[in-house]
Amino acid sequence: MGTRRVAIVTGAGRGIGKGIATTLAARGYDLVITSRTLRDLGKTRRLVEEAGGSAEIVVADLKDAGVAALLLASALDRFGRLDGLVNNAAVNFFTPFWKQPDRNLDEIIETNLTAPFFLCQTVASYWVENGAGGSIVNISSAEDTIAYPEQVPYASSKGGLLSMTKVLALEWGPLGIRVNAVSPGSVDTDMTPEMYRRDAPKFMPVGRLGTPEDIGACVHFLLSDDAAFVTGTSIYADGGYMLQ
Amino acid sequence: MSGRFSGKNAIITGAASGIGRATALRLATEGAGTFCVDRDEEGLARVVDRLGRGHTGLVADLSSAASCRQVVMAARKLWGNRIHILVNAAAILIRQPTLEHSRAAWDLTFDINLKAPFRLSRDVVSSMIEEGIRGAIVNVGSVEAVLPGRGHAAYTASKGAVTMLTRSAAFETAPHGIRVNAVAPGIVATGMNADLRANNPERWSAMLAGTPMGRHAEPEEIAAVIAFLASDDPSFVTGAIVTSDGGWTLH
Repeated sequence: MGTRRVAIVTGAGRGIGKGIATTLAARGYDLVITSRTLRDLGKTRRLVEEAGGSAEIVVADLKDAGVAALLLASALDRFGRLDGLVNNAAVNFFTPFWKQPDRNLDEIIETNLTAPFFLCQTVASYWVENGAGGSIVNISSAEDTIAYPEQVPYASSKGGLLSMTKVLALEWGPLGIRVNAVSPGSVDTDMTPEMYRRDAPKFMPVGRLGTPEDIGACVHFLLSDDAAFVTGTSIYADGGYMLQ
Repeated sequence: MSGRFSGKNAIITGAASGIGRATALRLATEGAGTFCVDRDEEGLARVVDRLGRGHTGLVADLSSAASCRQVVMAARKLWGNRIHILVNAAAILIRQPTLEHSRAAWDLTFDINLKAPFRLSRDVVSSMIEEGIRGAIVNVGSVEAVLPGRGHAAYTASKGAVTMLTRSAAFETAPHGIRVNAVAPGIVATGMNADLRANNPERWSAMLAGTPMGRHAEPEEIAAVIAFLASDDPSFVTGAIVTSDGGWTLH
């Protein structure tokens, strides 16, 4: 293997983000990992190091102005380069549509869509200024296409993220920047109820829930040069759930 | 007047011009009472004058949550809570290079294109459920949700969000007999592109060249699709995104 590459992974403290970080670390990436919780990030950093990588921790709320610049600066200060960005952090609040308070929509759009857009913009601007290319992967959801109850703001944010992925890919293609998405279905994390895990063979065509590492492998492919001609699309990593 | 919308009451946003105006006129022609909403006071007055008796206008800036709430409250009061149809036609397109897209432009785009339809739909659905009305909501999406427009980052993302607002709201309200659909227009001659048509006819022609029908749509053609979706004719149709683009997305 040659030089290690560097990527930023948001929401890396738990669940899918942690799996993405460890998968990337095992495949030659050093990382800037961020979330709102230091303790979670410390665990992810240990896993990244066990996988042979290094991780710079940034504890931050992506809603705060200046965080995008901070994440970029952290990558450059620690590793001297930046090759990829993975927008994984997201929030969701379950409420019947007709009872959704404005603050649910505001926070979900802010975290799941607005923050990723401006992080993309900050990172892409750096790449353009330095005559470099790069690859961005946005973690969407099967919910960018199919509906679930009590999650209208979340579904809206993911539908927007998918379209945002396309417009950035169109505009930044000539700049050597690829932008894609991975849309996970049901993934087994420490937040998954045990009953859901047990019943998975009944509702998942592949007979199991996804793992965070399943998602990490898709992210790695889209970040890598193997996907050099792939831009503006999403990989649905859902174990066939959406076929039903 | 009689027609498909006899005895029905419809809120239409963006009603002072373009697709919203054409929709208000079309629904009224087929018998609806309309509650027309726009921030353009003069344009709104002209539309409401033309509609005549039984129609009401409210000047409102839908970028504010308070205004959205006021729209539904005023319509409920006007009609004794009998709201049957909501058409979310108001939208804004701000063209900015993506690398320089400002936070203010992004927020304003989402306030008007996504949050207003969300807030209005939520409050109208709440009213329909309380009243046992099996109503219809029609959103205006865009083919740009699928085939994005250069320089339209916030607009494209907001219309992708409207697609899933439509589908997820349809899913949740279906058990109540409420239908939520959207039309996804291609190129329509409206105020949103008046500058482009006047000042950059070459770009406009190039855009039309991408439409297999070789022309743009008039707002009335989109209003006809909205009227169909708002009527009882598509009684088993919900969560649909009806593309109306002259074939643009075929290739």
